[in-house]
Amino acid sequence: MFSESFLHIFIYGALGWTALGALALIVLLIVDWIRGTLW
Amino acid sequence: MTEDVFSISRSTGWIVVILLGVLWVALGIFWGKRAKNSEGFMLAGRNVGLSLGSATAMATWVTSNTTMLAPVFALTLGIWGMLAYSTASFGLLLFALFVGRIRTLLPAGVTAGDFFRLRYGRAGWSLFLIITMLYSLSWLVSMAIAGGDLLEALAGIPYLQGMSLILVVCILYTLFGGLYAVIGTDFIQSLIILVGIVFIGGLVVAKLDFSTAYEHISTYQPSLLKIAMPAALLAVFNNMLFGFGEVFHNNVWWSRAFAMRKDVAPKAFFLSGLLWFPIPIAAGFIALAAGPLGINIPDENQTGPVVASAVMNMSGLGAASGILILIVLFCSMASSIDSLLAATSDLLIEDVQKGLFKAKVNEEKFRRSAGIVIVGLGVLVWLLAAPHWPIINALFISGPLVGSLIWPVIAGLFWRKINRRIVLAGIIAGSALGVWAYFSLGWFTASLVGAGVSMVATILARFISPETFREADLPVQNH
Repeated sequence: MFSESFLHIFIYGALGWTALGALALIVLLIVDWIRGTLW
Repeated sequence: MTEDVFSISRSTGWIVVILLGVLWVALGIFWGKRAKNSEGFMLAGRNVGLSLGSATAMATWVTSNTTMLAPVFALTLGIWGMLAYSTASFGLLLFALFVGRIRTLLPAGVTAGDFFRLRYGRAGWSLFLIITMLYSLSWLVSMAIAGGDLLEALAGIPYLQGMSLILVVCILYTLFGGLYAVIGTDFIQSLIILVGIVFIGGLVVAKLDFSTAYEHISTYQPSLLKIAMPAALLAVFNNMLFGFGEVFHNNVWWSRAFAMRKDVAPKAFFLSGLLWFPIPIAAGFIALAAGPLGINIPDENQTGPVVASAVMNMSGLGAASGILILIVLFCSMASSIDSLLAATSDLLIEDVQKGLFKAKVNEEKFRRSAGIVIVGLGVLVWLLAAPHWPIINALFISGPLVGSLIWPVIAGLFWRKINRRIVLAGIIAGSALGVWAYFSLGWFTASLVGAGVSMVATILARFISPETFREADLPVQNH
């Protein structure tokens, strides 16, 4: 059976990863915007 | 089960959906001005950058199934259920390895059909068109049905009105803006989806005492925490192969591969896979909170919205909870419907109208022709969605069909010679046996069987009288 600490890491990890994804998209958008490489 | 559970009135639902619809259509018209010719309309000028490219690939892959079915997987298959869903991201990660080769092989390519025609001739191309049309249409119709169902469940908007509304909005902005509009709106929609999922997940985590929750689940639902769960492990591989088949063959992904700048495309697909991977877990785990928080789930298919709404109500968010859920789900549906409308209409114009029927569609006629195809496709989807048939089953049954295209795509991209007839026989046999397995052995075996049979045939085709690909490594010309 998966342990409690695994469940912790599993859920917090997924939420953190998703949040980082949103942040990464915003940073990439700004970089593309500045460099004029959006499309 | 509507207003009582989700605390959102019908008028609020209409206002939210209409405001979102007006926003998407306005943005579609604005971005659509960039589309000066057919290449601009269908492929956004072949110059899409990393941020928009990653977001559009990720948002297209987040459907209402992801946000709605992931909690159901968590509720029925536990930890492995969520992981099984996450493996669908591997399709995007692997496709990143193919994109460079696709762009080298087809520098002027427009659709996935160009590849199948080049590698497997007219017979293979026709077989691909049958499979992809069946799959794309059932995906589109099931999304439209899901949209109608959700607006009815969340805001009490009658099914036919809600389904028509979401379809009309997506048709309008795809019609005005082509792939520019689709990619632009996908970026905003992907941010809304990610932030919404993190916000709701954060509230659930804040309400949940992990020790108590773990004790509750291990006492009352121990199967959800089991490490060895054969059905869930089969689901992992089945979902992964279904994902491979969907991504490798469908024009939704190929059109993006052609739309992105060549150096950007592999990075964008890899990043989209990385961004997508945690979403089924972040959106699904809230189902595990239902038991410990004493939330009653009257309908398993509504697990996600019911738990999210209950937790937000506990946090004092009231009506805002229903609005937030509606916005996130609306975005996850629109981001897939628009992409499917655009990519499928490209296939209908390029492969069916111009390819099969040899119709001449010049630049002047293109926008009118594209408009007719997009609206026609929308009307067909509406007609199929209106009776509320269980089309989602057609989508799941198409799993082995698209699974049987995995190996032919890989072989066509990377091998220099093959016996085409054996490959095509493998696709047909894999599809047929996969559908048989779906009904006889269980849904979680169908894609495995389809991909397995086709793999054996493709490997045999490499060694039994292989013919060199006649046009290998030569650029394909536009029709």
